[in-house]
Amino acid sequence: MAYVAARGGEQAIAAAEELHTTLNGPLSAVLVQSIERHLPYLVDRVMGEGSLYAPDLAALALAQTGGDLYEAVLLLRAYRSTQPRITYALPVRQSELRTVRRISAAFKDIPGGQILGPSLDYSHRLLRLDVLDDALSIEDRKEEPPALSIERCSMLNAPLPAVADWQRENGLLAPLPDRDPCDPSALPDVTREPISFPAPRAHRLQSLARADTGGVLALGYASMRGYGMSHPTVNELRLGYAEVTLRHPVTGVAFSAGRVRVSQAEIVDTGAGAPGDAPLRLGFTATIGWNEVKTIAGAMLDLEMSAPNPHPAHQEEFVLYHTEPVESSGFCIHYKLPHYVTFGSALDNLRKAAKTGETL
Amino acid sequence: MTLADLAHPRQDYSYGFLDAFARRELRRRILKAIAIPGYQVPYASRELPIARGWGTGGLQATLSVVGPQDVVKVIDQGADDSVNAANLRRFIARMTGVETTTDTTKATIIQSRHRIPEERMDKGQLLVLQVPDPEPLRHVQPDSSQAREMHADADYAQMWLSLYEQLVRFGRFMQGASYPVIVNGRYLMSPSPIPRWDTPALHQSAHLTILSAGREKRLYAVPPYTDVRPIEFSDVFFQVEDQAGRVCTLTGAGQKYMDELPQPSGESRFRISDTGYVEKLLKMAQGESTKIGPTYYDDAGQFWMPGVIK
Amino acid sequence: MTVPVMNPADTRQHATFTALMWALSYPGRATRLPVAGPDALTLIGETLVDLETSFFTPDAMLTARLSHTGGRSLPADSASYQFYPRLSRSDLDLLASAPVGTHVAPDLGATIVIGCALGWDTRLRLRGPGIAGTREILIAGLPDAFWSLRAATARAPLGWDIFLVTDNAVLGLPRTTAVEVLSWPM
Repeated sequence: MAYVAARGGEQAIAAAEELHTTLNGPLSAVLVQSIERHLPYLVDRVMGEGSLYAPDLAALALAQTGGDLYEAVLLLRAYRSTQPRITYALPVRQSELRTVRRISAAFKDIPGGQILGPSLDYSHRLLRLDVLDDALSIEDRKEEPPALSIERCSMLNAPLPAVADWQRENGLLAPLPDRDPCDPSALPDVTREPISFPAPRAHRLQSLARADTGGVLALGYASMRGYGMSHPTVNELRLGYAEVTLRHPVTGVAFSAGRVRVSQAEIVDTGAGAPGDAPLRLGFTATIGWNEVKTIAGAMLDLEMSAPNPHPAHQEEFVLYHTEPVESSGFCIHYKLPHYVTFGSALDNLRKAAKTGETL
Repeated sequence: MTLADLAHPRQDYSYGFLDAFARRELRRRILKAIAIPGYQVPYASRELPIARGWGTGGLQATLSVVGPQDVVKVIDQGADDSVNAANLRRFIARMTGVETTTDTTKATIIQSRHRIPEERMDKGQLLVLQVPDPEPLRHVQPDSSQAREMHADADYAQMWLSLYEQLVRFGRFMQGASYPVIVNGRYLMSPSPIPRWDTPALHQSAHLTILSAGREKRLYAVPPYTDVRPIEFSDVFFQVEDQAGRVCTLTGAGQKYMDELPQPSGESRFRISDTGYVEKLLKMAQGESTKIGPTYYDDAGQFWMPGVIK
Repeated sequence: MTVPVMNPADTRQHATFTALMWALSYPGRATRLPVAGPDALTLIGETLVDLETSFFTPDAMLTARLSHTGGRSLPADSASYQFYPRLSRSDLDLLASAPVGTHVAPDLGATIVIGCALGWDTRLRLRGPGIAGTREILIAGLPDAFWSLRAATARAPLGWDIFLVTDNAVLGLPRTTAVEVLSWPM
């Protein structure tokens, strides 16, 4: 009660923030750099859900919130709101990605080869307790090994064809629709207009790219456990770097503005479709940053949402609304706000109904 | 001439936080909302540095309208000094440098969560209500695209049915706050979770009301002098919360919307929820000069406009 | 952190927007714009139009000015924001095709900005949201057929939202306003 009725709400806020800082230690540029350097997957997750590629800002957001993921994502999204849209980059094509990891569960070998890349998939999940025993202090250590330079990965520059392209050539997947070269500025944009249902394809994929990893996993897992309609196989999972290519506003010459970490998953459904359709159906999710769980679960949900009469938890509106990280977490914590006016209004009815004894 | 002469001074954030595009989009939507009373206009809804569900919808509306000449009042549950109201007010002031007040009659913009002030708002004043769920049909139709079709057809049969069911089961309408209303004889609208006590204040009001749901990305408005009728039957009427017998322990006043404060003894004490109004009553009791505007309800609990509450 | 300040464009557009907002809230009541004359239409364009929306105007000069906003120039049958510095009889055919919205999305109805004069000529009685009872106004410089065209297309919640701009004032006529023509000019 006191947290609302107390006079001087502003002092209370200042004191609460100060206590938070005291408990969590001071912010510093070194801490932020260290997060960016050593926790790249966490930084990637914040950038993906925050829908802004800025590793230093994502690391700052994590440092500033003491690692509270939802708060960090909100910080990044709020910063994104203040940034004008300067230009549109050219489309990124799958086969042109500078790929560091690329696997297919559908075939033993694939054109271009399976590339295990950086992964803990086959590691033993044992805590490295010896690290704690290490007597060496950080200062005593010699130079850290340099960060992975993408040129060091020999596979990077080889263009790797998409598995789905091979399947299309062989009539296993429906051919890509004929489209004119896409004008990026004409794409529906979920950050510029609210989503409506049925959602344009661009809205669905953008929403999945920004979605909460945990939320996508929960709904995707429900599909995998048997609530879903599809029979999924990981057709192709890729981690890599995408070139951000812009056109010079005056000369029109295309140039690279840098590279961003991206991940994408394609899931095929082997459940028979309608007679006459291609045998396989494809689900897709991509996001900025490397996030395998989200892209795999997201691609499965993409399939589910397109299925006729999906389970209620796999309907497009249900999935996309409820996996929005900023909206879901914000609404959840808003229940901490006082609700005594609405509560009092409900009590007024309940008391009278009870008094008249007409409640069944 | 140098380049620096041509450029604006660098600042970390735009006036009112939102960039020019976001502000322009909101302004376009606000105009459409005013032109179609009670219709939910979809908007992009940018993320703000305040958690979603904590008033970001109201805040976006306020930030796109506010200017240096404005005087802003922010309340939550009727209180100016609650931490949430203080926080929103602090943010608006930090991003605009605008003057703030707790006095309803001095404010040009009032942003509120769950209440309308007791003093009557006037011509040229703007009330911004924060909305958690803009869809009055949600509990009869959770699918938003279906609900949209129902609004398009003005098909509110299911709503009337649910009202009738409440009557059969409980002998009264059980909707507490957010009591649904019909605006301008056309759209069913949620007035936001204001108590029923405040609902009649929207009918034929002199001021403009903008309601904005940031998380749900919908914005709607009640223009001045517009019919806002709570749904009711011709023989069973909408009723406001009963304040009879409740006396404010701070001011001794009655017939205003009261907060109930449970006591260790098992009884309850009451306090007027509108703290700006309480502040003025206390000033007056101490002989200080203050101007109290006319209120929606008089001391006998009569609503100012006859015939609105049956 | 210092408090952000409005730049000159912010200031102009804020003043213009608030004028439009109050003009639409109290239909028929003239509200002051920060500039006068032909610049007023440009200013309203700059306030509402950008690369996320579209505009139309039959006036070549104004087209050039409005394209600075980044807005897409579309024909009258699909542009969201339309500007007629002077509404001639022949413009009425263009105007007649302007979008009125759909029942699912009535907000897709166009916003129409028209230059005219205030204080003489046609007497109108207005009724609807934003007006306590009725309000009478005098408008000049619009073809007579404009009012019957509007009456035929404005079927709230569908219709156009109109701003009548006279020198340095703007007057709003949302689709919900019922207009009764009391007397034609002598």
